[in-house]
Amino acid sequence: MDSIGHSKYNAIYTHVTNTFLKSIKNSLDKLAIIEKYTGFFPYTHKLPSGEKMNPILILIEEINSQNLWNKELKLGRNEYLKVKGSIDTNLYLVVNGSLRVFVLDEYEEHTIRFGYKDNLMAGLDSFINEKPSDLYIQALKKTTLKVIGKTEFMNLVSSSSKNTKTWLAVLENFVLQQMERERDILTTSPLERYNRVLKRSPQLFQEIPHKYIASYLRMTPETLSRIKKP
Amino acid sequence: MKISSKELIQDLIERTRKNINEAEKFNHLTMEMLNWRPAAESWSILECLEHLNLYGDFYLPEIENSMLKSDGKSNPVFKSGVLGNYFAKSMLPKEKLNKMKTFRDKNPINSTLDKNCIDRFILQQQKTLELLDIARNKNLGKIKTSISISKWIKLKLGDTFRVVIYHNERHIVQANKTARRFPVNTGFSA
Repeated sequence: MDSIGHSKYNAIYTHVTNTFLKSIKNSLDKLAIIEKYTGFFPYTHKLPSGEKMNPILILIEEINSQNLWNKELKLGRNEYLKVKGSIDTNLYLVVNGSLRVFVLDEYEEHTIRFGYKDNLMAGLDSFINEKPSDLYIQALKKTTLKVIGKTEFMNLVSSSSKNTKTWLAVLENFVLQQMERERDILTTSPLERYNRVLKRSPQLFQEIPHKYIASYLRMTPETLSRIKKP
Repeated sequence: MKISSKELIQDLIERTRKNINEAEKFNHLTMEMLNWRPAAESWSILECLEHLNLYGDFYLPEIENSMLKSDGKSNPVFKSGVLGNYFAKSMLPKEKLNKMKTFRDKNPINSTLDKNCIDRFILQQQKTLELLDIARNKNLGKIKTSISISKWIKLKLGDTFRVVIYHNERHIVQANKTARRFPVNTGFSA
């Protein structure tokens, strides 16, 4: 091959590679933002077109700027934010630390969700219907939360049509997340369940002790550790 | 005392949650601290919890059975009984803890205890939450439960819940006081 052809080839090659890398980086950045603010329900999905930012993030910033947080709450490791039978209509932002949501079936705990830094948390059933719920919410390590009551939050939501739309988008996301989670639970193969969660929420594995992830994945900690090192 | 049944149950659930959280804090203390007693006749932290476990062993099955046997409907308002209200109120920890006599079979002093005792306490609290949940659909005033100290007295279910949960609170406060009196500065704060 002569030298000119070679350099031409090189230039095209570099261009293609750069474009490719750029597009990967772009989607990774996007993923990182979504991941950061949806861990409440650790799942990522395509944003509605035109929407640059995750809707939850928009609401959090709105609460910040209007200074609507009621108070800050500190929990020690293993302390409970909510227990079975209680009504909790607050919404929480995890400032640092991590939590898990679970239900107790006889004496077996089934982990439903996790929350870590920058996630929104709630006993969502109780938040929506204002009735007692079976959920337990427990801190996995020292955790700091910011609290906003349902009344204040819903006032904010209804204060502008933009906020109402944003809240609707959050709820739509949530429905999609629930459907993903439903499919998780219906997936027979433990390996497949693991792969699904790893793909949509890699950060989970950095933040949460693996025995709880195992419970979330409906498998024993032994099975999880076997799957992780093939 | 008159209170809406719903409110009473919410209050008792919230108190139970706090009792669990206190017990979780004890889980991080050393065995030395958990077994330390401020005076020869006083209880250690674990003995406080074991004392509560001994009561739980009696009351939780008793409450469960009394609810299982009943088929009445829930009542929106709970009216405390004279005796029940007296017992319950006397259990609530006051500013300065007043001494109370304990019955010999509920005195855990000098039994060998380990952290199992904390786990047992937490499991009992989770059971309590479950029973409170069932109690929403039960008549807190009509159902009667036996009490551990006398065969002849029965209390209303709502009062029995109050006695047990306030009693837990009382000894959790005592355990916290004991922790604070532990001689070395361990950085424990309650």
